[in-house]
Amino acid sequence: MHDLLTGIFFWSALGICLMGMLVRFIMYFKGLSWRLDRVAYTSYPGAGFKGAVRSIYKWLIPFGTYGWRTQPFIAVVFFGFHIGAVLIPLFLLGHNLFLKEKLGISFFTLNAAFADILTWTVVASAFFLVLRRLVLPEVRIMTTLYDYFILAISIAPFVTGLFARYQVGEYSFWLNMHIFCGELLLIAIPFTKLSHVFLFFASRAQLGMDFGIKRGGMKGTKMAW
Amino acid sequence: MPEGTLCNKMPVDTAEGITTLLSDTSGDTYYQEMKELEVDSDLLWKTIQNTCKSRMKTWLEICAHCGMCAESCFLYLVNGRDPKQVPAYKIQSTLGEIIKRKGKVDNQFMRDTMEVAWAKCTCCNRCGMYCPHGIDTGIMFGYLRGLLYQQGFVPWELKIGAGMHRVYRAQMDVTDADFVDTFEWMVEEYEDDYPGLTVPVDKEGAGIMYTVNAREVKHYPEDLAEAAILFHIAGENWTVPSKGWEETSLAMFAGDWAACKMQVESVYDAMERLKPKRMIGTECGHAHRATVIEGPYWAGRKNGQPPVESIHYVEWLAEALNTGKLKIDPSKRIKEPVTLQDSCNYIRNQGLKQATRDIMKHIVAPGYFIEMSPNKEHNYCCGGGGGFNGIGKFRKQRNIALIAKRDQILATGAKLVLAPCHNCWDAIRDLEEEYEIGIRWSFLKPIVIKMLDIPDHLRPEE
Amino acid sequence: MFKKILFATSATEASDHAARVAFNIAKTYQSNLNIFHVLGVPTRGYSQVVVDVKTKERVDVDEDYTAWVTEEIKIYYEKYLDEPLDYTIDVAIGLPAREILRQAKTLQPDLILIGGSTGDEDDIVYKKSSVGSTLQKVAKAAKCPVLIVNRPAASFWGGLSNIVFGTDFSKTSDKAFDFAIKVAKALDCELSVFHALDITSLHTGKMLSQDEIEQQIRECLRKIRSRYESRLKELKGYSMDVWEGIPFIEIVKYARDKQADLLIMAHHSRRAPSGDIKLGGNVEQVIVRAGCPVISINK
Ligand code: HEM
Ligand code: SF4
Ligand code: SF4
Ligand code: SF4
Repeated sequence: MHDLLTGIFFWSALGICLMGMLVRFIMYFKGLSWRLDRVAYTSYPGAGFKGAVRSIYKWLIPFGTYGWRTQPFIAVVFFGFHIGAVLIPLFLLGHNLFLKEKLGISFFTLNAAFADILTWTVVASAFFLVLRRLVLPEVRIMTTLYDYFILAISIAPFVTGLFARYQVGEYSFWLNMHIFCGELLLIAIPFTKLSHVFLFFASRAQLGMDFGIKRGGMKGTKMAW
Repeated sequence: MPEGTLCNKMPVDTAEGITTLLSDTSGDTYYQEMKELEVDSDLLWKTIQNTCKSRMKTWLEICAHCGMCAESCFLYLVNGRDPKQVPAYKIQSTLGEIIKRKGKVDNQFMRDTMEVAWAKCTCCNRCGMYCPHGIDTGIMFGYLRGLLYQQGFVPWELKIGAGMHRVYRAQMDVTDADFVDTFEWMVEEYEDDYPGLTVPVDKEGAGIMYTVNAREVKHYPEDLAEAAILFHIAGENWTVPSKGWEETSLAMFAGDWAACKMQVESVYDAMERLKPKRMIGTECGHAHRATVIEGPYWAGRKNGQPPVESIHYVEWLAEALNTGKLKIDPSKRIKEPVTLQDSCNYIRNQGLKQATRDIMKHIVAPGYFIEMSPNKEHNYCCGGGGGFNGIGKFRKQRNIALIAKRDQILATGAKLVLAPCHNCWDAIRDLEEEYEIGIRWSFLKPIVIKMLDIPDHLRPEE
Repeated sequence: MFKKILFATSATEASDHAARVAFNIAKTYQSNLNIFHVLGVPTRGYSQVVVDVKTKERVDVDEDYTAWVTEEIKIYYEKYLDEPLDYTIDVAIGLPAREILRQAKTLQPDLILIGGSTGDEDDIVYKKSSVGSTLQKVAKAAKCPVLIVNRPAASFWGGLSNIVFGTDFSKTSDKAFDFAIKVAKALDCELSVFHALDITSLHTGKMLSQDEIEQQIRECLRKIRSRYESRLKELKGYSMDVWEGIPFIEIVKYARDKQADLLIMAHHSRRAPSGDIKLGGNVEQVIVRAGCPVISINK
């Protein structure tokens, strides 16, 4: 079982995820239309690029935008969740050992204690994300089962990972579950709402170009995100 | 009776058609007929497949349903934080639903959607600034309106408005002759006070081609005289086209893209014909949006620019004041608390915040200008945008929508509100009528004229 | 002498005094009388909804409504319209002053007749957003004489015997004088020419001595004589006076003194370059205060 999961399954999941992301990313930009979107993308690549970069990086900074600042609670929860969600998969020591063995590459690794904190933060933040969905009427009204499903498959690798980490019950079972959930997540990324992992950059870039080209950027006004 | 005689999928493009529609008081019959109007699901789905591409599809797909956009929408705030007013919910439950059902929606659904599209969103685009994913719900509502218009589900006044553009190339039944006549008449009325005041019609190669809002011609012609006076005193070489003088577009509010194209092309034709150096439009927000910001795309201009450089009136005024073409007598500056309405259409959507603030610096004595909060690109809609002001059916909702602006104004303590946008001006007037908070409001032109320091050679002889 | 008269009315009590005079003149001169009513300004942006100035209600203006208003006006003026009279009724939408001027532009009347209050007084719809009143604007821009009846006119037109003409020696005043002579002749009444020496603003900062004042009064009288007397002699009676004080107060006092039935003045309210309507202020002040109808002449 373990061999299967770390073998063919792993390769397929990773392949599907990377290929899927790449294809969808390219499709996204190919699908942009100056006429339908009413943005002269290609006429002003410079202005568009500047707008796009600003639009992305401002939003990646915690409290970097009016949006984050006016909603501090979600901002904290969001970053609590996402910093871990992005860093742990890539930089956990265990993951890196695994990657080294499989791909022959490894990244910089996180200090173990810090990684623990991050993981717990992810789980705790996920709890608050769910709570938010249950409690706040403005979020509840839009929340569908699909949203919980996405949250569930996002959080599953972390929860199972923690079980394995603290050896709750049988280690190898949880490890296999962890790998399985992780692979599920990888496959889900290109096909579900989790596509935001890369489409976030596409979508923000698009709006950034819109503001950079049409809505003020070329008048010399930087959008005050 | 699937297609009504008044309410149907056909745009109005004859003067008789408009008269017939107009004679249906309050659109009573029109809305009655709308209840029977059939939805052409195939057409709807085909249109969506052809026009809903990457950007919008992605928006609808990746929306996290996180609700961060909720508080950004003034309509959510003034409607007691009704979750049904959350931007993402509004668009997901309408456009999102239509797409999910591949266009197979019924009459009732379309009528409800019409209400959401015109009474629950003014296309002010504020929410787009607060969504982490960069989802601009206002843009999607603009798109949705187009779908609704195509199916005949559009508020009565806007069907008429779009029809006006088709027939008269103006938002009201003002003909080209009416326009020139009225402009000349007004200039005549003021020429004693401003010797040499003229209105050069169809002058080729002028520095400025001026375009207006038909409402000025019809109801507020003083505005034309004021524009003439300011150009005259600034020593501008200007002209107005006898055709293609209307800058506004109710067709844009209606979602009648074909009429939008016809309308802006009439202005662009005038630009090509008269070859001015620049085009300047009057103090109107949506007109600028229609003719300068969105118009080039409707007309198929790939570089997104009108044929000649086109600027908003506030840009010209700021320039004239900054360069000294117009001089203000400092003793006549505004010396009472005064605030400024930032029009979404050219502040948020074209970044002209500095121009209006430059103007304020010139015309308001130091210490008297009080910013609203929030302001600049973060300002709330006046409450009447996107056609909301004019729709009788949604009057109640519109009046509630005014509360955001009312409270913003009250918080400044100012009794004078400058509103360089026709729609905002209207909304602010209506909010005074509705809530009587004791404010006055004004465009910039009359205020500036009163405080001008006019060079001797332009003064009337005594 | 008045072939066409434009009578702008609110068709309410506020215009009743003006109506009496309007119908009276129209009958006397067999004029064509255009009864003109402005419904109100559309409040709904480009929509069809108007706040009716009369009922203060929001109405949808369409043909039916206009027809109904026209009928109402007919009923309101029934007692005058019974007798043979050449009249038309028009109803318009917009800002009253602008629409009256627009109507005048198409009709080219010989006289615009307007009540002191045209329904715009406390109406928020007009008041706060526009500087100045309907009267002010019409009087300023009209190309024909504007007759304003603010208070009940003591006598009917035709029964006039004393006209006061106030001059400030401007070109417009000369034109107004031509008109005054014409009216005085036609109605066979006396004409009193009057000038008020403005001691308020003319010499700000410098108190005039009584000698100087009297000196100036003598000068003004000489001016009046040389300008107007030759033509005044054509009338059955005339007088010429100069008083000092605040002009609009003095002329109202003078008119009362003379038991004037009509006051004629030039309205050369050139929008002073400063922008505020100062010079015209006199006429407007007079209109508000005078006990008799006032004719303001602009061009
Ligand atoms: C660089 C990568 C990523 C970016 C820029 C990003 C960005 C975003 C944004 C902007 C939102 C919506 C805002 C919000 O809910 O507060 C969001 C929501 C979400 N993201 Fe990500 N994300 C990234 C990676 C991930 C990853 C790797 C996962 C999964 C492990 C993930 C799972 C989620 C989930 C579950 C939500 C919904 C939260 C909710 O229920 O409100 N994201 N992300
Ligand atoms: S803020 Fe953006 S992602 Fe969140 S619910 Fe609103 S539109 Fe969707
Ligand atoms: S565009 Fe404006 S009105 Fe419409 S949903 Fe967004 S914030 Fe609300
Ligand atoms: S009316 Fe004014 S404030 Fe409202 S949406 Fe339009 S521009 Fe913005």
